[in-house]
Amino acid sequence: MAGQGTSLRVYLLTRLALAVPMVLILLTFVFLLMRVAPGDPISAALGGHAPQSVIDDIKHRLGFDKPTYEQYGNYLWDVVRGNFGTTITDRRQVSDIILTNGAATLELTFFAMIVAVLVGVVIGLAAGRFRDTPIDVGGRLFGIVVYATPVFFLGLMAQLLFGSYLGWLPTSGRASPITQATLQTHTNLFVVDSIIDGNWDALKDVIEHLILPAVTLGLVTAGVFIRLIRVNVIRTLKDDYIEAARARGIKEHSVLYRHAFKNALVPVITVVGLTLAGLLGGAVLTETTFNWPGIGHSLVLYLENRDYAAVQGIIVVFGLVIVVVSVLIDFVNAFIDPRIRY
Amino acid sequence: MSPNRVTWRLVGMAALVVVVSAAAASVAFARATGTHSTKATTLVDGTTDSVTNIDPANEYDFGTFTLDVLIFQGLYGFPHGTKLEPVLATGCSPRPTLKTWVCTLRKGIKFSDGSTFDSADVKWSFDRVIKIHGDQGIYALLSNLQSTSVSGPYRVVFHLKSPQSTWPFILATNAGYIVPSDVYPADKIRTNDESQVGTGPYKLVKYTPGQQAVFQANPNYRGPKAKSENLIINYYSKSSTMKLALQKGEIDMAFRDFTPTELASLGKAQGIRVHAGNGVVIRYLVFNPTRAPTNNVAVRKAIAYLMPRQTIANRVYHGSVQPLYSMVPAGLPGHTDAFAQMYGRAPSVAKARAVLKAAGVTTPVKIDIWWTPSHYGDASADEYAEIQRAFNGSGLFQVTLKSAEWAQYSAEPGKRYNVFQLGWFPDYPDGEDYIVPFYQPDNFMANGYNNPKMTALIKKEYAAKTTAKRLAILKAAQVLAAKDVPIVPYWQGKMIAVSRTNVRGIDKTLDAAFQMRFWVISKS
Repeated sequence: MAGQGTSLRVYLLTRLALAVPMVLILLTFVFLLMRVAPGDPISAALGGHAPQSVIDDIKHRLGFDKPTYEQYGNYLWDVVRGNFGTTITDRRQVSDIILTNGAATLELTFFAMIVAVLVGVVIGLAAGRFRDTPIDVGGRLFGIVVYATPVFFLGLMAQLLFGSYLGWLPTSGRASPITQATLQTHTNLFVVDSIIDGNWDALKDVIEHLILPAVTLGLVTAGVFIRLIRVNVIRTLKDDYIEAARARGIKEHSVLYRHAFKNALVPVITVVGLTLAGLLGGAVLTETTFNWPGIGHSLVLYLENRDYAAVQGIIVVFGLVIVVVSVLIDFVNAFIDPRIRY
Repeated sequence: MSPNRVTWRLVGMAALVVVVSAAAASVAFARATGTHSTKATTLVDGTTDSVTNIDPANEYDFGTFTLDVLIFQGLYGFPHGTKLEPVLATGCSPRPTLKTWVCTLRKGIKFSDGSTFDSADVKWSFDRVIKIHGDQGIYALLSNLQSTSVSGPYRVVFHLKSPQSTWPFILATNAGYIVPSDVYPADKIRTNDESQVGTGPYKLVKYTPGQQAVFQANPNYRGPKAKSENLIINYYSKSSTMKLALQKGEIDMAFRDFTPTELASLGKAQGIRVHAGNGVVIRYLVFNPTRAPTNNVAVRKAIAYLMPRQTIANRVYHGSVQPLYSMVPAGLPGHTDAFAQMYGRAPSVAKARAVLKAAGVTTPVKIDIWWTPSHYGDASADEYAEIQRAFNGSGLFQVTLKSAEWAQYSAEPGKRYNVFQLGWFPDYPDGEDYIVPFYQPDNFMANGYNNPKMTALIKKEYAAKTTAKRLAILKAAQVLAAKDVPIVPYWQGKMIAVSRTNVRGIDKTLDAAFQMRFWVISKS
């Protein structure tokens, strides 16, 4: 037991140590990329009105007039202190963007993940259980189609069908303008805020607004789960312990639900974590399509306004989230599957 | 029955009870709160504009100006249309030299926080714009202001560096918006998450960056109460999403901006009305007259003869813009169709050929035309494709189109490009703002144009003592500009808003002042 504990500790420490160069490479890449981009982002961000003296003032204020190595050092030191900078165009702290707009992204990705897992598990299990039947073919086809469809296209189609043509659901935003104007924000998670206030009217409105973006983003991710779970179910159903359970006379229902399906779902835990990166990437497009004011939506707006400082800060935070999640997933995997740490 | 199954059934029943209770509570809440009455008194506008600094000391973009015009007022303004009127002043008059302007302030005005407006606030507001020297560059509008002094609580004196007959126009810009001296710091911007205090028809009660700005009618406003008690401006990153929201009734109106194709589609949609009024946004092609081949005036004139204005207006913009034959747009005092008089309204290949032949220019002339893809909207690509087709089709030019993103494009383009696209909307709706920034030496485009005759006209215009004289000088400047052709203006945009059919009053605010006066808009 002691040996196992030591190997786990060593693995976790190694994984943590490896995260440091990973973050450093990410920070360096973002730093260099922003500086090799053509044009003068400072004057562009100011809308072309500002005279050269003002542009020079801002460059000085932001430290862009210093040698590159000095800028790099200051940039790393700021990130270490949790200071991701201030936007040029509207003078917001990037950390403020992360807090307010990040909550919107968190809410969207959380519900999208629920959709992805629900759709993926149900269709994947059914396709695996009824292999080579029309259910399997339909499930696989559905998985391929939703996975291959660009998220913005799926979103646009959903907007046109359920929002415009059928008129069932709202097409954009986190809530209707009046609800958003009157909703008290405690956590910036609108579902939670409306529950805290007992504002059921707002909750209904917020959930209605969540449905299309969450389903759109969730379906794209569900495509991955469907194929993975289907394969796992087929493989598990061939395992010896399933045969043994059947031979012992256990009901088919129990064999499937208690033994086969439970074991087939274990690898999904890993994939759920790994798909978070894809989900965040997809959130940028989904948020833009549905005017969902998350971090991805802000990133696009600041990119359009060429706000150098904002884009740099947001990309760094995006990257750090991915690094932290991948480290956490490795930890969880190490606990679940002892083979990984040896 | 196994204990497991019992547990699941209990959980299921509990969930059902929660859902039913939530639905009942939701209905009860909707009845108890006046959701419907709030909807009736709240006007919701959509926009694709963005906001920078709401504090007028550092605001120089149209998206933020749309907010500021609701919150703040200046000594002068355009409260009813294109006519310049005293607002917080009862009037301003110049001393004979036109270097000193004395303004008498209106009494009994209060800011939205209840404090009283007086001359100290005026001096404070002008001084801080200059002192803050904000990065958006709004202080440049006050570059002719030497100092501001007070003479009693309701009299202010502006001391200028050089004579300026149009000083009241400057007082009407956002550089002249008045803020209370006890709220706004003297040397730094009040940030967007702090409250904003002005004397305008609305007060800003909530601002969420990139999402919405929420206004309530200002109870201390001097004028007639805003037609809509509440106003929400909702921000959209894409016009296509805004279009769907408008069609679905999620917003009542949208100002600005739809693509020409979307506007054409909305024009045919049920329950939607497209409103258009005189606009003052212009688009023009700039030349560097100091470098070959555009240093030859015949080349510039030939281009002026060939410009396909009507084709661009019809094919690219579906009629949402109109051909422009002067830098000063039609509808503004002093406008004259100088280019139409000199080069005709329709393109003429024969005249272009003749002017090139007379100057001994070998054809086809090879030129690179630069344009920028996103800053002026997606239609720019089609616009320049039409220009290229027209020029190359004449056989007189061989045009290569080149583009660069705004970041690369915007800084002093005349230093890098010989022929390039630009656009403009004015700081104040007067011909002066379409002549001075473009034709003075060392203009912002850095295209090298410098004609002493034009510089003298500009100086005379600044010092003209009567409006008639000033407008006559502006007309002379337009004629000279058409003769020299450092710039070919080609279209003037309309001011367009789109609304649901139950929205009233939009047409009252679509004019050359180019301000969305939301306080005159309501819905039935």
